[in-house]
Amino acid sequence: MLDKLKMTRRTFIKVAGGTTAAAAAAPRLLSAMEQDLGGKDFSPVDLKERQAIPVNCHVCNIQDGAIAYVENGRVVKLEGNPEHVSTRGRLCAKGNAGMWYSYDPDRILYPLKRVGARGEGKWKRITWDEALNEVAGKIKEVLDKGEPNEIMLKYGRNRSGGAIDRFMRTLGSNTIVNHTSVCESSKKIGMEPTWGPDIETPDFANTKYVLNFGSNILEAAYFHNPLSQRIAEGRVDNNMKIVTFDVRLSNTAGFSDEWIPVFPGTDGAVALAMGHVILREDLQDSEFIENWTNVSVKELKEHYKQYTPEWAEKLSGVPAAAIERIAREFAQTKPATLFTYRGPCKHLYGSYNEKACMMLPIMTGNVEKRGGYCLPRGMGWPQPQPEPAKPGKDSYLSHPPDYPLAAHKVSHLTPFFLADGKQKIKIYFTYQDNPVYTNPGSVAVWGKVMRDEKLLPYFVSMSSHMGEETALADIILPDCPYLERWEPESMPNSLWPWLGIRQPVHAYLGESRENRIILRDIIHKVDPDGSRGMKKFWNFKDGEDYMRQHFDNIPGLKEAGGMNWLKKHGVWPVYGKLDPKSGKVTDKTGREIKADYGLYKKELSDADMAGAVVDKNGTITKNGKAIGVKRGGRNYVGFPTGNRLINVRVEHWAEYGFNPMPTFKQVPWHKDIKDDDLILTTFKLNVHKQSRTAAVKWLAEIAHSNPAWMNPQTAKKIGVKTGDLIRVESKVGHMVTKAYVTEGIHPKVIAIATAFGHWEYGRLATLKLKEKPQWGGQDDPDLNNVWWDDKGVHPNAIIPVVADPIGGSQGWYDTVVKVTKAGPNDKYGDVQGDWQKHYEAYKETIRYAYTGDLHRKMHPEMASWAGPESLKGKAPGGGH
Amino acid sequence: MSEELRTSSIETRGVAGKKRYAMVIDTRRCIGCMACQVACKAEYDTPLGVNRTWVPYKVVGTYPVVKKQFLPRLCNHCDDPPCVRACPVEATYKSDDGGFVLQRYERCIGCRACMASCPYNARFMLPASRTYTKITNVVDKCTFCFHRVAQGLVPACVQTCIGRARVFGDLNDPASEVSYLVARNATQVLRPEQGTKPHVFYIGADRNHTEFGRDIYRRPDVLEGDRAAFQRTRA
Amino acid sequence: MGDYVVFHDVAWHGVYALYFFLIGISAALYFFSALSFYREEFKPLRATSFYGAFALLAVAGLILVGDLSQPLRFVNTLNPGYWNMSSPLVWGTILIVLYGLVSVWYFLKLGDEKAAKLPAVIGAVIALGLPIYTGFDLAVHQARPVWNTPLMPVLFVALSLVSGAAVASFLAKGEARLLGALRQIMLWTTGATAVMVLSLLITTAYGGSSDELTYMFMTSGTIGGIFVGLGILGGTAVPLVLLLLPFGKERAGLLLSSVLILVGGLSLRYSILMGPQIVQTFFS
Repeated sequence: MLDKLKMTRRTFIKVAGGTTAAAAAAPRLLSAMEQDLGGKDFSPVDLKERQAIPVNCHVCNIQDGAIAYVENGRVVKLEGNPEHVSTRGRLCAKGNAGMWYSYDPDRILYPLKRVGARGEGKWKRITWDEALNEVAGKIKEVLDKGEPNEIMLKYGRNRSGGAIDRFMRTLGSNTIVNHTSVCESSKKIGMEPTWGPDIETPDFANTKYVLNFGSNILEAAYFHNPLSQRIAEGRVDNNMKIVTFDVRLSNTAGFSDEWIPVFPGTDGAVALAMGHVILREDLQDSEFIENWTNVSVKELKEHYKQYTPEWAEKLSGVPAAAIERIAREFAQTKPATLFTYRGPCKHLYGSYNEKACMMLPIMTGNVEKRGGYCLPRGMGWPQPQPEPAKPGKDSYLSHPPDYPLAAHKVSHLTPFFLADGKQKIKIYFTYQDNPVYTNPGSVAVWGKVMRDEKLLPYFVSMSSHMGEETALADIILPDCPYLERWEPESMPNSLWPWLGIRQPVHAYLGESRENRIILRDIIHKVDPDGSRGMKKFWNFKDGEDYMRQHFDNIPGLKEAGGMNWLKKHGVWPVYGKLDPKSGKVTDKTGREIKADYGLYKKELSDADMAGAVVDKNGTITKNGKAIGVKRGGRNYVGFPTGNRLINVRVEHWAEYGFNPMPTFKQVPWHKDIKDDDLILTTFKLNVHKQSRTAAVKWLAEIAHSNPAWMNPQTAKKIGVKTGDLIRVESKVGHMVTKAYVTEGIHPKVIAIATAFGHWEYGRLATLKLKEKPQWGGQDDPDLNNVWWDDKGVHPNAIIPVVADPIGGSQGWYDTVVKVTKAGPNDKYGDVQGDWQKHYEAYKETIRYAYTGDLHRKMHPEMASWAGPESLKGKAPGGGH
Repeated sequence: MSEELRTSSIETRGVAGKKRYAMVIDTRRCIGCMACQVACKAEYDTPLGVNRTWVPYKVVGTYPVVKKQFLPRLCNHCDDPPCVRACPVEATYKSDDGGFVLQRYERCIGCRACMASCPYNARFMLPASRTYTKITNVVDKCTFCFHRVAQGLVPACVQTCIGRARVFGDLNDPASEVSYLVARNATQVLRPEQGTKPHVFYIGADRNHTEFGRDIYRRPDVLEGDRAAFQRTRA
Repeated sequence: MGDYVVFHDVAWHGVYALYFFLIGISAALYFFSALSFYREEFKPLRATSFYGAFALLAVAGLILVGDLSQPLRFVNTLNPGYWNMSSPLVWGTILIVLYGLVSVWYFLKLGDEKAAKLPAVIGAVIALGLPIYTGFDLAVHQARPVWNTPLMPVLFVALSLVSGAAVASFLAKGEARLLGALRQIMLWTTGATAVMVLSLLITTAYGGSSDELTYMFMTSGTIGGIFVGLGILGGTAVPLVLLLLPFGKERAGLLLSSVLILVGGLSLRYSILMGPQIVQTFFS
């Protein structure tokens, strides 16, 4: 009976199915062919094809190739660009949600001028003309005084392709400060003097063994999406093993075959001990060491003798047996690779840690091999001509003399330098930066300095959003989010170099303008008739015109069509086709495209060799510059370092009293950590970036709060369970947050995610949704569906500054805290940081600089160093 | 494939000339990045509070031997879907070719019987407010991206899957990748005892996810305050 | 977090239990009105209990339609072209519509002893179909413990009669024979309910994981308080004992039992509706 009914119904469905729009418009389902992976998208409602515009993602800095799909003039969907060799058609969660940067109802859509006190939140809408005149007027005042360095610009995420630098050079100011010291600068400084570039490209897809020191590549870090794809491939298709050292069970650690919890900051010791085992058991690649590094195997063996696994066990808590086993596995599995990120390097001596880690693939000869530890592959582009010259007078803030090796600057010490009067600033520009939220000390440090109109008399924010920093500005010039901008792009995020373009998917919303236009218009106001000699550097019609000046003359791309190619494809070169069967990029024969390995073994041409001399070590020198290395009768290009070798011994570190060889320095205040003290560590979740995603609703829905991770042992000791309030107290302040008790964390560590607990950044980030959009944005009805009521607590105000005396990097993971159950007066969300105590922490950390009194104490092995006085007169600013 | 007892006339298994779309989710490749969940939200302008696909995670083990397990979830597009039986007005139906379990929004009365019948929590009520899509206050669900598949594309979640953990194709085609994966690997489906014959197959699914009700024994890794906040907005 | 977790809502909320409750009472009242054609003692109830049934049908119908997220599309359920006969909701719709039509017919003939009998009997049969369909409405959902048991339709008939009799005991104006008959009905149906709920509890407690967990939810916390406290003890066991005692034969005792039975009837329906849905919301 029922069956009969069903049959009748089925017949009916067939008829009815045919009448629905979907079925009517759909072609017959393809027969044996499998589905395509992407490149097209259709509206699920009316089935119309959505317009596809290739762009370059810029939610974070991985720079994936993307396609924006536009429906009724609005970007409704973002997808990976299938022609992009790195991204291969995929985007991460953040990239998929990128359109909400543009459509955030709380985006600023017209220029604003402060009317109340700084930070009071009272604004007046002004016209662009008023805004530009005011800013240009202030600039002219400073220029006419002849002190262009008093104009400062600090940027966070600058992908302008040179426009920001051009602006500052045009004004003649050297006071341009980045944000890299709160990011990964000590990793860069650990690597650059050693082998040239600031990052590695592990060939995860083809490797058999991965050692991961403190990188959460599957959630964040460089280069999340492209590298994660290859890790999944290597893991399943190539049966690789991955071992992760981390203080916390990140998704990467959770995915790994082994998670080895390690005491914060001791990764370097573990890596050195592994090196010790490898060298002790003669498992190193002697031929590679002898030929391609500046040390001998004998020297290396001698040097590594001190780093026993037992020594490392005492420091790191990693059992000596595990260190020995993993060292052997790593050395005896070929190919093997290594990856690090902020785990090792964000400590007082982070540069040493990074160096210690990168020694492992070097001593095992895994460098630049298929499945190994490869050099990054990037591409550049020429700048529009004419170009302004680099200003002559140096700026204290961009090159603090106490940190001569910190080539990526020490931006997080800026507020203290300002407070100390190290440099006078009249105008402060900010671009895609939010140190009031993201830097150590947060509002307690940057908030204080930025509110101080004596230290920063005029504060211009170029921002699309009312971030914590922009909220303190005097004037806001509304910038565009990435989907409305023109920008050139390239990132070494796979083994194939590429050039990409970011192009606007629609006109600027409201009165916002993209940054390069804002900068041009300021210059044109400062120098309307060209008499200051500035206007000529800003000679372009619009963003597209500027891009043409970048791209139209690049060999290869020019022949392919130049800008027109990039506008159509978004990326160049296109190496092959994305195969839906494998998800890989394949060549004309259907095979996966092969990467170029062994870059250092590219041979120099006869033309290169003309006029070159080869010394007894094989170094090939031309016009006073090393251009390659002669080995076995062949002239190789070598590594991009001063001597074309891998510098295991970094000579110029020794000049400043630092140990030139791989070494480890324990964070001194971790030595005698009390029983009930913990180390505070911060981290990013996969759906957020540092500060700009809290207002992205799809990401905020997935993660909107950041309770403090703690081990059950720790929680038991202080008597809390998940959800209970705890008080976290450091030497500079305290905060009250919720506990999240999890087995996935080292018992001596408490971990608090960043990206939460905003007090600015619009209504969603601050959960003040009863208010209306204030700055011209269009409300999103979906925000009625926000169901969560917890926005988290931001920990940075209780984290003191620590600066790596070599790399200049912030020691994010060095903070000792006392964690207790919250008291009766503690309220969820309480955060308090004390300026005076933060200032003391700054004074303390510069004692570790090469000029400081603790430097020698920390380096007894460098007793013969002549001291800082010996370097008087030597130009600061990094050593390569 | 061995011939199982065919209990319902709407099953697509082995029907000549008919497609039987399925998804294989290889959890060994899933990195829990949530790209699928967000891509799906974008594809359909899915409102906050409801999801067509989602990725729960579990932390399993005792320190220091701990693992994270993810299990991407979506409608199983059952070969014998209880929701289709439950809908009084045939707003929910199974497509003849392909086996998509779909929803006729213009017909749905919003009685939620399909939600009550689904063993997988795959169905939800659309709220009154959406960003730009006019379809509201009816039951919605994953459609296996019927509109994309019909145009020769994979579903949006498969498209963006970073680990390539999600694979989509026709199980009635022995040469397809899903057929290969199902044939060559130990696969699981969710709640097989329900007799729904799911079309989402898992490789390496963890029992901490698949065992029904396990979350209640083992406190889920979530602040109860969040769950309470969510419940307050339902009613 | 704690990290990212997706939460799920139950499909049916508490207001649906109110509908079950009211439509059950309506059905029983109609049944008692029709019974008056066969049992003399029910005669005083014929008109009042029919009016009660009619009014409750209207209220319950509004609640049912109002609970739809698309109330106006209630008309879709009246379109035979859309009907899916394997859904009990369709049978429910047909029954409610027929019930309403027959009620009008009955209303028009109410004064006429002879002409009213046919609509009374037909209506009573349809009325009994209402609790049966509501029971099936839950029973057909295979994945829900407690619901997916053969007891549901029978239990809902018993609950309908007992709640209806309790309301009828208020409508009765102290007629001793009628109250006696209602007491008998209450006694037997409360007893039947007790037996069925006990059986349900035991089979659930001894079931697999989903049953076991549902048992846990239905015997602890808020739902436990409503189900065990108000539904089983206060609303079933206590009135059962009361009705057996001499006090239960007095009007006051009967009315007190009726109040308890009504509280119990709503509580049981509410907890049986909500309790078995909870486990599902945890299946992430």
